[in-house]
Amino acid sequence: MTHAWKRWVPAVMVPAVIVAAALTVPLAANATASLPTKSAAQVLAMIAQSNVKALSGTVEQQSNLGLPDIGSLGSSVNSSTSSALELLAGTHKARVYLDGATKARVQVLDSLAERDVIRSGNDVWLYSSSNNTTTHVALPSRTGKQPSQTPGVVPTPAELANKFLAAIDSTTAVTVSKDVSVAGRSAYDLVLTPRSSTTLIGSVSIAVDSATGLPLSVDVTARGAKAAAFSVAFTSLSLTTPSADLFAFTPPKGATVKQQALPPTPPKGEKPSTSAKPSAVTGTGWDSVIEVPSSAVPTSLSGSSLLNQLTTAVAGGRLLHTSLVNVLLTTDGRVFVGAVSSEQLQAAAAGK
Amino acid sequence: MTGGGTSVELAIETQGLTKRFGSQTVVDEIDLAVPRGSVFGFLGPNGSGKTTTIRVLLGLAAATDGEIRMLGREVPRHLSEVLPRVGALVEGPGFYPYLSGAANLKRLDIADRYAPSSTRRARVDEALERVGLTQAAGKRVHAYSLGMKQRLGIANALLTPRELIVLDEPTNGLDPQGTREVRNLVRSLTAEGTTVFVSSHLLAEIEQMCTHAAVMRTGRLVAQGTLDELRRAGRKTVVVLTPDRERTHRVLEGLGLVPGEPQHPTLQRITDDDRAVGAPLPEGMSPDVIVATLVKEGVRVNGFAVERANLEDLFVALTGEGFDVAQ
Amino acid sequence: MSLSDDSPRARPFAGLSLLGSELSVLFRRRRTIAMLIALAAVPILIAVAVRLSSSRAQGRGPAFLDQISQNGLFVATVALTISIPLFLPLTVGVVAGDSIAGEASAGTLRYLLVGPAGRVRLLVVKYLSAAIFCLSATVAVSVAGAVIGIALFPVGPVTLLSGDTIGVGESVLRSLLIAAYICVSLLGLCAIGLFISTLTDVPVGAMAATVVAAVVSQVLDALPQLAWLHPWLFSHYWLSFADLLRQPIEWGSFGDNALLQLGYLVVFSALAYGRFSTKDVLS
Repeated sequence: MTHAWKRWVPAVMVPAVIVAAALTVPLAANATASLPTKSAAQVLAMIAQSNVKALSGTVEQQSNLGLPDIGSLGSSVNSSTSSALELLAGTHKARVYLDGATKARVQVLDSLAERDVIRSGNDVWLYSSSNNTTTHVALPSRTGKQPSQTPGVVPTPAELANKFLAAIDSTTAVTVSKDVSVAGRSAYDLVLTPRSSTTLIGSVSIAVDSATGLPLSVDVTARGAKAAAFSVAFTSLSLTTPSADLFAFTPPKGATVKQQALPPTPPKGEKPSTSAKPSAVTGTGWDSVIEVPSSAVPTSLSGSSLLNQLTTAVAGGRLLHTSLVNVLLTTDGRVFVGAVSSEQLQAAAAGK
Repeated sequence: MTGGGTSVELAIETQGLTKRFGSQTVVDEIDLAVPRGSVFGFLGPNGSGKTTTIRVLLGLAAATDGEIRMLGREVPRHLSEVLPRVGALVEGPGFYPYLSGAANLKRLDIADRYAPSSTRRARVDEALERVGLTQAAGKRVHAYSLGMKQRLGIANALLTPRELIVLDEPTNGLDPQGTREVRNLVRSLTAEGTTVFVSSHLLAEIEQMCTHAAVMRTGRLVAQGTLDELRRAGRKTVVVLTPDRERTHRVLEGLGLVPGEPQHPTLQRITDDDRAVGAPLPEGMSPDVIVATLVKEGVRVNGFAVERANLEDLFVALTGEGFDVAQ
Repeated sequence: MSLSDDSPRARPFAGLSLLGSELSVLFRRRRTIAMLIALAAVPILIAVAVRLSSSRAQGRGPAFLDQISQNGLFVATVALTISIPLFLPLTVGVVAGDSIAGEASAGTLRYLLVGPAGRVRLLVVKYLSAAIFCLSATVAVSVAGAVIGIALFPVGPVTLLSGDTIGVGESVLRSLLIAAYICVSLLGLCAIGLFISTLTDVPVGAMAATVVAAVVSQVLDALPQLAWLHPWLFSHYWLSFADLLRQPIEWGSFGDNALLQLGYLVVFSALAYGRFSTKDVLS
């Protein structure tokens, strides 16, 4: 009776232990042995020489671009547009399986659903469990390129890193920061910092696996922000060859099967591609503004109610604002995209 | 008025037992001493702290202060060893209405980890028989009357041989016949050597079956001892039956007594003029002196008696309120 | 008295027999039986509704709802999906919330303790019986779903979320895994209910509070502003049993879920112990 308080000891200790464990276990997991120092050039060379052919892992994409919650905007929107936009918001988990250059499978793990892209040789299958639809795309033979940036699919860190690395030029300062640990692997942290002071992007940080040179994560941070606005990272990674069954896909019984020709350009709604061919580019490096002529813009876009909800009216059109990228839809139907302020987009639009 | 010295083995012993709920003191430093083998009446009006005391004794509630020994062991430290030797009915019966009487007893017997499972069935049957519920054993408790539930509660206390049985208001809801049965049951238990601790707000009940009693009043223990000791503690009263009422008053006052109307005169009037005059007998005064003085002063004494206050008067005096003598 | 001075000897496995008694009391109650029947009715209603409606409503609800008509083995999974947000927490809340508070309100708690059942032992037995109820609730839905599915629909290879197809044998195995997953998912709620049940003598209050806890947890889990909190909510992984329908099975959520539920179990058991072992039983 006088020691009644002792009975409460577990009730106090247990949560304390759990909190302590929750705080220390991730720290311990991320504790990385200090790697031999490497210069930025050496790390870049590691990436170039990276020769990871087979892997299976889980990738998590997190974006905090300042977009409103797409899911709450109603279901009246065009499903492919919303599906693509939905991938740009929130957190997504995907499992990635690679075996050589021609066998790949990416599974976007949605709640109670899944979107799959399976490539085996020249056959690419897209499967969506939510509408039980299979799309078959036959690649032209002798195209060794991976089917990157397929709609509805989370990019792997390596794919995204390669895009940024390809764009490295004199406008970018490349440094190596403190060693990090990603998916339990120690990695060099390659940091790309735009020299320009007008771009929205503050830095791009790429974790490069110290053993294989494989990019393990990409974090894009807005200027002045501390936390990444967009990140793609492996949460688990195994370099063993995945089971061959995974790449053998037969459309399930009862599924709708569509045959599709290779799409000529990546569809809209994805991250602005730096290689949009029919578009004009003004500015250089990080300050580039891409202009898409009105002829190349799908007409459905301008009237989309989803787009109206996402954008705000500005002088000369409507603006889609995110913390990393601005998109200006001018009243005459052109689209300007850039990692720059809305004023610069408006100036570019007015300059033409 | 303490019952039992150190030589007597005690079944329940408390020292300074106190229970407070917030700022309210429900049990206030009570020192109980329940001798083994006794039938101990725990008497007090409703709300005087009897049930709370019983809950603390049985480890259901923790004492705020004080020490308890039950069957020679410190409680609640050795509660798990003491409780199997104690049967209890606490503040009315509590049963699963959707189970039969026998199933209820079986479940409570399983909860006693010292009760052997091999004899369970026989013990349940025997306990039911002792309280006269054999006929209703298979009926759901839902269909039991209050009196039957009360009996079932008592049966639960009798499931295994106990050294101490605590019965809180055991005759609640029982008809006179049932009350009599409980009395007989208690008597048979005492014959087996079991100590019985009975709480009640009914004086008659305690008077009829107990050897010892303690009286609670607003959380305090105001009297304790054997019934005889308690009776002896009551003030003695002299009663004079006389036609000379006023002279008797003067004489008694002259002797230093305080005359008045006697409360329950037992003397029968001899003549129509006789009046009863009563006065408390002071400590140390011999009644024969009073008679001699009265006669010497010419008072016609038609009757004289020394009466002892009965328990009810005593309890009214102790607790400041009346008891329900009738049910 | 023969018992006088030597301490009485306890029966071995007294805890087990108390658990047995607890289970027989639990499953002999009409209320428990009624809840299990209501849960078993969920897959039956779904199956009958789908069987009766000839036109398939495409694109509404979880996609595999559509697949019921093609494969009876999906009935149980769909029924579990529909039951996990409310029906299962409701029944578990009733049982767990009633565990101590129900005994207190019936007046049996004091007799069990005077028995003496032992407070810790009683708490453990109560938790185990609530956990066994979780299992039986899940099994009720699964078995009823399997039986009605096989009775009303064709049975054949099952298409997983990944688009791969597995045989009947493996799909039965996965159904068992899902049932196990959902049973584990409810263990945290059980511990919460047990703790709440030690706080009050009013069983209905404890039941309602437990069910409200389950609803609040799911509402919080749906608010994107509280994303940092989501992995700590006991309902966070409830729908992740779908990871068992992927090819290969995504075991991560199974492990995370088990760990999370274990955490809730330990925390709320410690709280329940603190509360119940110091509680004055005044009912």
